[in-house]
Amino acid sequence: MTLVSLAAKNVLRNKFRAVLTVMGVAVAVLTFMMLRTIISAWTSGADYAAKDRVVTRNKITFVMPLPKRYVDQVKATPHVKTVTYSNWFGGKDPKHDREFFAAFAVDHTTYFLVYDDMDVPKDQMDVFQHDPQGAIVGDLLAKKMGWKVGDKVTLTSGIFAREGDWEFHIDGIYTSKSKAIDRSSFMFRWDYLANDPNVQRRQQGQDANVGWIVSRVDNPKASADVSVALDKAFADQEIQTESQDEHAFNASFLASFSAVLSAIDIISVVILAIMALILGNTIAMGVRERTNEYGVLRAIGFTGGHLAGFVLGESALLAGVGGAVGIAIAYPFINLGMGKWLEENMGNFFPNFSVEPNVTTSAIIASLVLGVGAAAIPAYRASTLKVVDALRRVA
Amino acid sequence: MIPIRYNVRSLAVRKTTTIATALGIALVVFVLASALMLANGIKKTLSVSGQSDVAIVLRKGSDNELGSVIDVGAINTIMGTPGVKKDGNNAPIGVGEIIVVGAMEKIGAKGVTNVQIRGVPANAMQFRPEVTIVDGRAPAPGKDEVIVGQRIRGRFKGTDLGNTFDLRKNRPVTVVGVFAANGSSYESEIWVDVDTLRAAYSRPGMVSSVRVRLESPDKYDGFRASMESDKQFGFLAMRDSEYFDKQSEGTSIFVGALGGVISFFFSIGAMIGAMITMYAAVANRQREIGTLRALGFSRASILVSFLLESVILALFGGGVGALAAMGMQFVKFSMMNFQSWSEIVFTFEPTPAIIFRALFFALMMGLIGGFFPALRAARVSPVVAMRGG
Amino acid sequence: MTEETIPAGADADKKKTEAKTEEKSEEKSEAKAKADEKKADEKSGDAPYRARPEQPLISLKGVSKSYERGGETLKVLQNLDLDIAKGSFEALMGPSGSGKSTLLNLLAGLDKPTSGTIEIAGKRLEQLGDSALARWRADTVGFIFQSYNLLPVLTAVENVELPLLLTKVASSDRRKRAQTALRVVGLEDRMSHYPRQLSGGQEQRVAIARAIVNDPALIVADEPTGDLDRQAADDILDLLEKLNKELGKTIIMVTHDPAAAERATVQLRLDKGALR
Repeated sequence: MTLVSLAAKNVLRNKFRAVLTVMGVAVAVLTFMMLRTIISAWTSGADYAAKDRVVTRNKITFVMPLPKRYVDQVKATPHVKTVTYSNWFGGKDPKHDREFFAAFAVDHTTYFLVYDDMDVPKDQMDVFQHDPQGAIVGDLLAKKMGWKVGDKVTLTSGIFAREGDWEFHIDGIYTSKSKAIDRSSFMFRWDYLANDPNVQRRQQGQDANVGWIVSRVDNPKASADVSVALDKAFADQEIQTESQDEHAFNASFLASFSAVLSAIDIISVVILAIMALILGNTIAMGVRERTNEYGVLRAIGFTGGHLAGFVLGESALLAGVGGAVGIAIAYPFINLGMGKWLEENMGNFFPNFSVEPNVTTSAIIASLVLGVGAAAIPAYRASTLKVVDALRRVA
Repeated sequence: MIPIRYNVRSLAVRKTTTIATALGIALVVFVLASALMLANGIKKTLSVSGQSDVAIVLRKGSDNELGSVIDVGAINTIMGTPGVKKDGNNAPIGVGEIIVVGAMEKIGAKGVTNVQIRGVPANAMQFRPEVTIVDGRAPAPGKDEVIVGQRIRGRFKGTDLGNTFDLRKNRPVTVVGVFAANGSSYESEIWVDVDTLRAAYSRPGMVSSVRVRLESPDKYDGFRASMESDKQFGFLAMRDSEYFDKQSEGTSIFVGALGGVISFFFSIGAMIGAMITMYAAVANRQREIGTLRALGFSRASILVSFLLESVILALFGGGVGALAAMGMQFVKFSMMNFQSWSEIVFTFEPTPAIIFRALFFALMMGLIGGFFPALRAARVSPVVAMRGG
Repeated sequence: MTEETIPAGADADKKKTEAKTEEKSEEKSEAKAKADEKKADEKSGDAPYRARPEQPLISLKGVSKSYERGGETLKVLQNLDLDIAKGSFEALMGPSGSGKSTLLNLLAGLDKPTSGTIEIAGKRLEQLGDSALARWRADTVGFIFQSYNLLPVLTAVENVELPLLLTKVASSDRRKRAQTALRVVGLEDRMSHYPRQLSGGQEQRVAIARAIVNDPALIVADEPTGDLDRQAADDILDLLEKLNKELGKTIIMVTHDPAAAERATVQLRLDKGALR
């Protein structure tokens, strides 16, 4: 027997209470990690976003298009390497019309050069290049909808109405290692859209429109200058633009949700407070019930410091075990359950929803710090017990 | 029946434990009530905007004003549709407005935020009687003057009364008034003369939406049918109230779901806390319970007594939490609306139903957390009273 | 659970114990001699109490102790002088409220006097700080309580081992010493029982083993037989007597029980805070 095993034995004195407390701590740690992961997943879009991609869109709203001729003008801007463009298609699978996913018409020759962090197998890409009705979809989306390479799918569009539905061939499935890429998008060839007679009739012979233009710059540091140069160049034309690099765009998007994020932030601290209350309560009850025993220990010659150590050790042990259980549950729960669902259904917000190492680290630190913090008052009380009074008290 | 006084005093004796447990429950109830109040605030803000005898017309395929483009020429067609109310001069009552999103610098925060700017015709305020100027004056027509909703007043650079900001480069406008709109989402908008906005953004000949006042709410079906039969333009007609309901759907579901999930996990934690406390209460009072049993109280009355004690504890915590949540009324919560991609300022709106629901939730936590300990208490044998220690 | 007869157990152990304590035999006989001398003093019928000629183990001079209770000062002990020789077995008696528990607490280093000096084994207790006092207790005092006060989560042998955790004794030796102490009290077959599995008398014997495991200079016992029936009480008293006579332990025992007090070599009577 050692001082440590003595403390450990006290923890198991009231097994049921210890188990309940561990459960309480585990639930709190799980919730904490879930909330922190929401924050980190949400902001990771901005953190991981490429700084060398500049998105140019209509200044009024990105719902409104830009003339296609702007593409050439962007291309002529210094520092711009490659340019691509796309249109929001607003597609839905009529068979699953409650499933939302992002569908765009993209310029097949350049899109995957600008978005080179989307990985498409070369053979699939070759097929796509030669198939006017070709489409490339994200692996998560393909899985959710049950699509395979070679499948024919039909979509309806809320924007581009047409006699009958739009028919596409799934030529390829992309994956991505980048945490900023939504793996549930649907991309098909822009020329298929532009060549459609209905769409052409709508344009009444005018220049074709593109939704937005994305350019790849040769140096991430130049992207701010390029953004300014582009907007300046279009400032005096009939349609003004708003250019931002992807990182800045995501950051400003996030800023709009700063209230939500800070609310989640606060709530994640509140759950820790609840955890500290549960833990502190358990420890305080234990100290109260054991006052007489502490008196005995003091009489035998244990110091107040020893007792404080026992109380803190007990609390740290409960918190540590609870934290470990919480973390052990959090991984499968967040990564496989909730994360999968969010990636598939809210991929545009949460392209990558999984526990980050720093979330786990902060969970470990939080549970230990709180374990000690929650026990501070009971530990102080135990250490300052008057031996004579404590002995008199019958538990 | 064991008097409730007994339970209340027992709780008072264990002051620290009682307070710690009640505080845990209070935090849970606070979070739950706040989330419900916010979801309600979002719903209220966005749905109070719509009037039932007003119909909105958008371009087909767009689900909000921001994405809709309607040719100015079509306004007359829409206004001329049967069922639209006429004013004294036999002119149909309606407004064609343009919506743009301006990127404004938020004061005290980094980066820019989208704010909805509405280009309105001169009769916009008459059309919406709930809109009133609360500070400053109405803008003079044809001038570069704007009014701002009271919820965003001063939140962004240049949006306080008397300030000036650039609608577009070298196109400054002056804030001459602040308006209230019955707490609706209009209060998070900037209103400017429709022609000024069109000129600034080079959008001649178009509006985003047309709203018309119907002769009566039941004229709506006919109006909608004739709107949607028009193949030339491709219109989409909705009741204004329905439109705003739809606008709030995503955001309030999001907040509601987030709040719900968080409250769920929180409540498990708090329930465990209540359970620990009540088990300890039962364990420390074995002898007391034995004595009560020996005195002739039934198992059932012991069970009820301990359940009551747990419920009192939970309701005490719940009350504190609900009270604290009421304080959230004075907090403004700004958030991007998923439909319009622009920021709207919401408030936490309490209702008796929400407070009731939060307290009911606390009650359930008390009942569930206290049930097993109470069961254990009921099983205590009267013999325990006789035994020492 | 039936109480086993201690004498048999104790006798069986006597040899081992003696073997173990052989190196102390000198000290022991000296203690015995002192005890005899003290007995003689008692019987001589002189003043019931007087200072002993040799340097005593415990020496209290002018000790007073008072408490504040609700604004009133309660004088529990008043200007008390007391010497206790090494190796004596003293019973402290008196009506409740006489201050005997207070005196015991002072002698055990659990509490400090309001005034006066307490010197035990060369240490001035009133001058020691809280943790120094704790360390002193760990080295010098063994405790026996009325309600045994064993830790319910520890087995008998672990309870006995407890005071050794505060010493530098190696962990393997700790267990051995605890086992030896349990043999002394005749509980070698109950080593891994938990307190709840023992009778009151057995629990008290575990407590005694715990009190002696550190080989303290002084054993204080607060009504050690108060919770026990006659038979068990006698067994415990036999054991204390044996500790005093054979191991030369100085024992101070607070008791109400005249039969228990009989066993001591000296009977001290405390009344209204003063020795009579």
